[in-house]
Amino acid sequence: MTKWSLLASAVVMAAVSISISMSLSAQQSATGSWTQPKTPWGDPDLQGVWRYEAAVPLERPAQFQGRASLTDEEVAQRQKVEEEQEAQRLAGNEGTAVGRGNLAQSPIRGNEYNSFWQDHGRPRQVFKQTSLVVDPEDGRIPYTPDAKKAEARAQARYGAGPYESFLDPDTGERCLTDGVTAMMWQGPNGGHNRIVQSPGYVTILHEEYLDRRVIPVDGRKASGIRQWFGNAVGKWEGNTFVVETTNFIDRTNYEWAQILTRPSETLRLTERYTRSGPDTMDYRITVEDPASFEKPWTAQIPIARLPNDTQIYEYACHEGNYAMTNLLAGGRADAAKRGK
Amino acid sequence: MRAGIWGVVVVAAIVAAAAMWIHRPRAADESADGATYRAPRTADGKPDLNGIWQALNTANFDLQAHPARPALSLLPAPPRGGVPGLVRATPVALPDPAVRAFGAVGGVPAGEGVVVGDEIPYQPWALAKKQENGKDWLKRDPEIKCFMPGVPRATYLPYPFQILQGTDKIVLAYEFAGATRTIHMDKVGDSPSPTWMGWSRGHWDGDTLVVEVTDFNEDTWFDRAGDFHSDQLKVTERYTPQSPYHLTYEATIEDPKVFTRPWTIRMPLYRRVEPDKQLLEYKCVEFVEELMYGHLGVIDPATGQRNK
Repeated sequence: MTKWSLLASAVVMAAVSISISMSLSAQQSATGSWTQPKTPWGDPDLQGVWRYEAAVPLERPAQFQGRASLTDEEVAQRQKVEEEQEAQRLAGNEGTAVGRGNLAQSPIRGNEYNSFWQDHGRPRQVFKQTSLVVDPEDGRIPYTPDAKKAEARAQARYGAGPYESFLDPDTGERCLTDGVTAMMWQGPNGGHNRIVQSPGYVTILHEEYLDRRVIPVDGRKASGIRQWFGNAVGKWEGNTFVVETTNFIDRTNYEWAQILTRPSETLRLTERYTRSGPDTMDYRITVEDPASFEKPWTAQIPIARLPNDTQIYEYACHEGNYAMTNLLAGGRADAAKRGK
Repeated sequence: MRAGIWGVVVVAAIVAAAAMWIHRPRAADESADGATYRAPRTADGKPDLNGIWQALNTANFDLQAHPARPALSLLPAPPRGGVPGLVRATPVALPDPAVRAFGAVGGVPAGEGVVVGDEIPYQPWALAKKQENGKDWLKRDPEIKCFMPGVPRATYLPYPFQILQGTDKIVLAYEFAGATRTIHMDKVGDSPSPTWMGWSRGHWDGDTLVVEVTDFNEDTWFDRAGDFHSDQLKVTERYTPQSPYHLTYEATIEDPKVFTRPWTIRMPLYRRVEPDKQLLEYKCVEFVEELMYGHLGVIDPATGQRNK
């Protein structure tokens, strides 16, 4: 999913984190008087660096079954835990002290990396919603039975292999991408997204894997050329930026850290970006793909705008993919040990 | 008086026409300055360079003037065989077996070069290294491995790139390897580490976008001929609009570790005018994994067999 070979990147991100902590979430200062700024050519202005940094799990945990929202008490309790964990992280502590006892406890993947690799620098934000998935109502992703098996297999392989060739690591470990579906809310390291607008285009630069989307907003139709990131076409509905993405290439044959992000020819994404304040955005994505899901599902994701001086740094993953050669060397050593 | 004014207008028109004639794009050493074309303006009054652009030259093969040759990778001069004393033709410049199957597709087209004055002022040790690089191109050129191409090479790779002018950042989105640069038109701190694509600070000089690029690592090249630099590289780029359909790209290269003086490349870039043209994906990491890693695993995916 992510690279542990990117030492320089991590040092950079640690520096970013420190700078972020200096200017805490400005969203509390958002008032009702806020009006959506416009670009010089009159489009709603979404520019800046955005990231998801809330403590909301993608799917609803069993303990909240039947409930879409936390109580005020639960929110307060969570807030306290997040603040404590952040203090522990900044103190250099690891493990259960920072809420990372095991993989399953985390709402996001990336738990296997210690705090050094994480972008945190301020406590994760607590929201009332019990899951990012808001449709279906149970807050769970409606995988097909086959996809459920594929996801279980992906989870079992993650970090464990086997690694017999370069096709065995997942697409992230191969420095290809973790897919466009989770781009706006994934990436404990490199989860920053810079939005740059120019007349007729909205460009999103995602730090991890150098993922990039140049989205035309000029009324054109999607091209028929299939791509990893499909063909995105944008339009404005009032102050909401709406993006429809189709014509994905089929890469369901590859290993994915999470199969919910894998592209197939039947994948269709509908995204809605709506700024709700100077530093907050309501991001919604509806994912349709009969190859993986029994019905469409929608996630509602609160994302935060980072201070103006936040930068996207160069994520030279493939150029520094020592992990690949090391994984394969490990695979050979393992095969030799087993006498195969 | 009327006639006098018209006389001035006529003279001015002749001067303008002559100036346009003089400034017609001709050779690599043509000056980009003094152009009479005024670019359209963006909504906030900046010269509008938005669009998809591409170089149309052989700079990526070799920045300098060069004749055509059969392949990028050639055999060392082969020994003359046959009967001693018999006059026979000897082979010259045969393609390396690794690229021979490409035939005419693998040849290198001739080019006039894009270096102003055609000389790259290498220090002696660096010239020797450049020549070694060229000979060992197949193993050494980072383009082959789909590594980020660096600057200025990203500009004249045989792929389009897009200029996207935001309000305080300009994105340069390159098709090759999905490489991207963010040009900071606003005040920005220093780069925290060396990079492949550099750290770009831009400003406007009249109609010209000037970008100072620093903080490079030493891992990118300038072309397939082995032209290289060190981590002391500084590139000053100038993008000057010349018509709705082309601009002049100029890059001045400074690197006191490798060169004896600054030097400059210059070339036109052309607008891709196809309707609804867009930058497509060239995610080449996937294309080079077999080359880079196929032999390293237990199994080689190309054959399905165990590696020895």
